[in-house]
Amino acid sequence: MPVTLRYPFTELEAPPEYRGLPHIDPKLCIGCGACVNACPPDAILRIDDYDRGTRKIVLDIGRCIRCARCEEVCPTGAIRLTNLFEAASPDRRDHIQVVELRLVRCKVCGNYTDFTERQVKKALQILPKEILEEEALEERVFICRNCRRKGTVDATINATKEVVL
Amino acid sequence: MKYLEELKAKFGERIEEIKQLAHNQWLITVDKDILHEVVVYFLKHPEWKETQLSTMVGTDERPLRGKFSVIYWLSVNGNSDDVYIGIKAYLPADDPRFKSVTPFHKGANWYEREVQDLLGIIPEGHPDPRRLVLPDDWPSCVYPLRKDFHYSDSPQGKKYYPYREPPQGTTVHPIGPYHVALDEPAHFRLYVKGEEIIDCDYRGFYSHRGIEKISESRLTYDQICFIAERICGICGFTHSTAYCQAVEAAGEIEVPERALYIRTIMLELERLHSHLLWMGVACHLTGFDTGFMHAWRLREYVMWLCERLTGNRKTYGINLVGGVRRDFLDYRKEMIEDVLKKLKSEFGKLVDDLTSTRTFIKRCEGVGVLPYKLAHEWSVDGPLGRGSGRDFDVRRDHPYAAYGDLDFKVPVYKEGDVLARALVRIEEIWESIWIIEQALDQLPGGDILAEYKEIPPYREVIGTTEAPRGENVHYVMTGPGNTVYRYRARAATYNNLPAVPDMLRGYTIADAPLIIASIDPCYSCTERVQIVDVESGKVRILKEEEFNKLSIKASRRV
Amino acid sequence: MMEKIVFALITVMIIFLLPPLLDGISRKVKAKIQYRVGASIFQTYYDLQSLLNMEPILPTERLAFRIAPYIAFASALAAALLLPFGSFVPVAFTGDFFVFLYVLAMFSVAMMIAGFSVNNSYTNAGANREMMLILSIEPVLGVAIGVFALNAHSLSIGGIPLNITFTPSLILAYVLLAYAVYVEGGFIPFDIAEAETEILEGPLCEYSGRLLGMFKWAMLIKRLALLWLFVSFLVLPIMKNIIDITTFTGGLATLAVQLIVLFIIYSIIAIIEASNARLRIDQAIRQNTRVFLAGLVVLLIAALGW
Repeated sequence: MPVTLRYPFTELEAPPEYRGLPHIDPKLCIGCGACVNACPPDAILRIDDYDRGTRKIVLDIGRCIRCARCEEVCPTGAIRLTNLFEAASPDRRDHIQVVELRLVRCKVCGNYTDFTERQVKKALQILPKEILEEEALEERVFICRNCRRKGTVDATINATKEVVL
Repeated sequence: MKYLEELKAKFGERIEEIKQLAHNQWLITVDKDILHEVVVYFLKHPEWKETQLSTMVGTDERPLRGKFSVIYWLSVNGNSDDVYIGIKAYLPADDPRFKSVTPFHKGANWYEREVQDLLGIIPEGHPDPRRLVLPDDWPSCVYPLRKDFHYSDSPQGKKYYPYREPPQGTTVHPIGPYHVALDEPAHFRLYVKGEEIIDCDYRGFYSHRGIEKISESRLTYDQICFIAERICGICGFTHSTAYCQAVEAAGEIEVPERALYIRTIMLELERLHSHLLWMGVACHLTGFDTGFMHAWRLREYVMWLCERLTGNRKTYGINLVGGVRRDFLDYRKEMIEDVLKKLKSEFGKLVDDLTSTRTFIKRCEGVGVLPYKLAHEWSVDGPLGRGSGRDFDVRRDHPYAAYGDLDFKVPVYKEGDVLARALVRIEEIWESIWIIEQALDQLPGGDILAEYKEIPPYREVIGTTEAPRGENVHYVMTGPGNTVYRYRARAATYNNLPAVPDMLRGYTIADAPLIIASIDPCYSCTERVQIVDVESGKVRILKEEEFNKLSIKASRRV
Repeated sequence: MMEKIVFALITVMIIFLLPPLLDGISRKVKAKIQYRVGASIFQTYYDLQSLLNMEPILPTERLAFRIAPYIAFASALAAALLLPFGSFVPVAFTGDFFVFLYVLAMFSVAMMIAGFSVNNSYTNAGANREMMLILSIEPVLGVAIGVFALNAHSLSIGGIPLNITFTPSLILAYVLLAYAVYVEGGFIPFDIAEAETEILEGPLCEYSGRLLGMFKWAMLIKRLALLWLFVSFLVLPIMKNIIDITTFTGGLATLAVQLIVLFIIYSIIAIIEASNARLRIDQAIRQNTRVFLAGLVVLLIAALGW
């Protein structure tokens, strides 16, 4: 009873629990970067381009050690380890997956902030509806940090002026 | 604690501080001038059976206290309430020297050479102060583990290594760095006369990867678990467990019981896989390929089982600080039981086959004898020590994970030859199967991962496990901000390899690969310490690599 | 005349083309014992083909290094040509039994030349082992065939099996011959000189390409020659009593039976190889010496007429 398999001339499928090649589902990724923090060999990188307003999540499965920490920390389940294990390719660029997301543009100054539109949408999804005021949020959320700081300072100064008067 | 009382009585005022680190670990700080006296007194004490030099750590504590420090970790073994005692001394930053212990106890040889190589702390009176760890072309006054050396630096130098001169009338017969008998690169320079080996010189550390330095520089506690697992391909899970135990002791994290049992089961499965691998290799080296194929076929059952349980055939990756990540659901328990049943019947047949193959037994008997006295002096552990009569097993003497609740025997043989070590490993396989069955029966319910917020900085602890090859000792000094200040991983083979030249003298070249393989050497385990990121040292410029490196730096700024 | 040509062609095919097939069968049998599928039985042909097409890399300029494989090949070929194939003996003359032993020893000398011509401690160790092994086993082979020769009163290998009478000493001589053929053929547990895992294949360590191909082919032909000797001594006396060997059909039938017995014996050897580890050189020499002394006793018994 020989135990040799005629691989690669037969199909070989790994069991369902197998930790295979990672893959990001671009529809679900919000660009939060939790996976970037958790990854031990820095196989996932988060690259922000503030001139063009994009955030790229770059996954290199050549550096991945298949530990599945990214899968554990992802809030939306976008990055998953598949069942596949064959990663050989003559072109190193086949190992790179890039997910590009749009950064939020500040309504006041026009610069790009450091969070993505999808992150905002996800936060709105998580927060309970009862405590949110949609219109007030529209004004406050899509502002960059500097403008928000400036807005807070201005509002405080105006408020003190009112009180004094 | 009687050992402490006696040490206090003998050395009295010279002891500066005694601190308890964990339930079985104590740290004694002494003045640097009596460091070697205390260590030798402990090791040569006539009453304390089976003392062992477990590990030795050198640390660059100049940012903390302006000094270097050296800690000898010693243990007394043989009873289940024995302790680890660390003997620490501080050395001045401008002239770090201390008196070497090697002339009195051979087991300290490699530790002191390593500390000299990597930190520049000089052992005075060492009989063989050659370079141990760093490669041949590393410049001589650059010390990688010091805090002022960045982990991606790569200094260039000229290639030079002073091998010993061959004795009169012998020829040099090099085994390695590339040799069919070795799994990993290592260089045994045999000085032979005809077929008989007169002497041997060892040069290793070709698989040195810089795990300690990178752990200190850019990894968090959870991430180091994974790199600790990759110290070795065969006994990686024991390294990861030892590291997690150290950090859990430092942070006083209470690991749930179910996690401890799961860890125990995975540790024993790893031991099964490792011993079956060793049996195959030993058969192959003597030309008995049928034994090799059948042993590895049995090992396939274990690998397949681990793939279903943890997601990978090896490098299980289920350890985190605070517990484990995957649970054993019911259908997985049934799988374990099936595999154990198959193993029991087929392994019995394999052992009968092996012991009745006369030619194989003739090759193993009386070969590579290591007498008990030498075994004690070199501080060997694991099946090598147990085959020579040392009754020492970390699972029984310093219980960790769930071993305190389980019942198992520790096989010890006195002959000290290759056959004795083979029999020790065969009996350990039977014991492992028995341990897994018990653990499965007693598996408690509950959580599998404990949460932790922050681990207090500058706590020193060690975590120990019994790897298939011997005792794994991981020393961790926690640092600020959930990073590690000093991480020292000592694998079992580190203590076993220096004894090989003594075991080789007087035997023939035909026996040399078998003797070297009989200690079950795991060179990757031994050689993990410090050094550089290979990609930046060598000129292999892939565009993605450059891009990634710049991006790593860029995303740090974000 | 036609018959001679036919036999000659078949003989040439057997000597040159059969050994790799036998090796393939041996590998397949070993694989089955080890629960593997193993390579196809024609794999050794493919291996030899790829080796013989490659250019060798020479570690030394010495002529000895380059000629040794061809000397080995020629010796193995010469030994095989002295043996009976059916009723046809390609080269026969009185006293060719000494020549048989001599050319077999020449094979080992070629290996030793190959080993000592390079300044490499592994090849030197392998050549040393080959020397010790051949010095301890040639006498046994000599004694075994010698008993046969005494029994048949003939010194020609082609003539010996046709003239023997069965006596007790002859049965013992068969056992001795089987042992000597097994050891000299370099089957496990006696493949000490070309041990792969201990001394990196001994004298063959520095060979590559075409030269290595010739050496490996030569080793396979030598095994065939030794085993064919044993098979002939077994089959021919029995077949002689059943049919008339000297006719064309009788000769062909004998040849066919020789081939079948060869295949059976090779498979049995494969099973023995798969269940044994390799011996150390000193253990092998001790065992060979004991067998040699036993052989001397058998020779004595034969000389006395029993």
